[in-house]
Amino acid sequence: MADSPEKRGWIGRLWNWIWTPAVAFSSGFLILAGFLAGILFWGGFHWTLELTNTEEFCVSCHTMETNLGEYRETIHYNNHSGVRAICSDCHVPHEWNHKIKAKIMAVKDVYHELVGTISTPEKYEEHRLSMATAVWKKMKASDSRECRNCHNFDYMDFTLQEARAASEHQRAIDENMTCIDCHQGIAHSLPPGHQERYQEVIETLAGKTPSQLQHHAATDGDDIKSFLTSRAD
Amino acid sequence: MLEFLGTVGANIISLPGILGLALGMMTRRVWLGALMGGIVALLQTVIFAHGSFAEVNTFELLIAVVIGLCAGSLGSAIRIKGATV
Repeated sequence: MADSPEKRGWIGRLWNWIWTPAVAFSSGFLILAGFLAGILFWGGFHWTLELTNTEEFCVSCHTMETNLGEYRETIHYNNHSGVRAICSDCHVPHEWNHKIKAKIMAVKDVYHELVGTISTPEKYEEHRLSMATAVWKKMKASDSRECRNCHNFDYMDFTLQEARAASEHQRAIDENMTCIDCHQGIAHSLPPGHQERYQEVIETLAGKTPSQLQHHAATDGDDIKSFLTSRAD
Repeated sequence: MLEFLGTVGANIISLPGILGLALGMMTRRVWLGALMGGIVALLQTVIFAHGSFAEVNTFELLIAVVIGLCAGSLGSAIRIKGATV
């Protein structure tokens, strides 16, 4: 009688309890209890998810100190309007499906923090290009979705922009370019060889984008960053 | 690999996983539960692509439909095992 309830372990008894029809509770009670438990669970889940979007959470890892320092020198951290874009604004999508995917994929960051992949400045520099490439690839593939949460060509008044910025933005619209085509290194330092690598990213993803145009765009990255930083100052 | 796992996880706690499971629990016919889960997955992918089939990523659609089918089937299995009606 190995199957008798008395001889079952706690897992067996729990399994049995789960699948035995409830006799002590009405259907209404179970539905209401399940509904309330669902609200509590979902609220708690969202609250926890939002906690992982805070800057404090992102930079709580030792390895994030380098890029935090670089980001603090940019217009996205300090500017005349007082609007700040924190880590998650650029790196975490707003849409549910993309957000959850990004959060699950971010588990790799915990792994690399634990094994110390970028634990020293030397290691960080060694991996800077590959880390930047991963972000560029994601941004290019999503048409700079996270940038567009705040910036939108439709809302831009080109008459208020510097002549060069207005002309380049018009060109970006005309030639169907995306933000990251020009604005690489907008929040973090660019590694050596970034232009060639960005070119590779474009070719890998599309293979059709005019290389001359993209090369021109990539060479603008440093200029744009220094221009924006000077404006922030 | 990471891309694959991320897409699978995202679909499990998105509509194909949650609504697929819930719809599957409404029937004892496993094929019907799976079908409903699969339809939810298809609809979700198209809705998140802003209604344009041209923007649908085949890889993401395939994973969503598989998750929807599995969730719907699991829902029906739960109904068979855990309900007397």
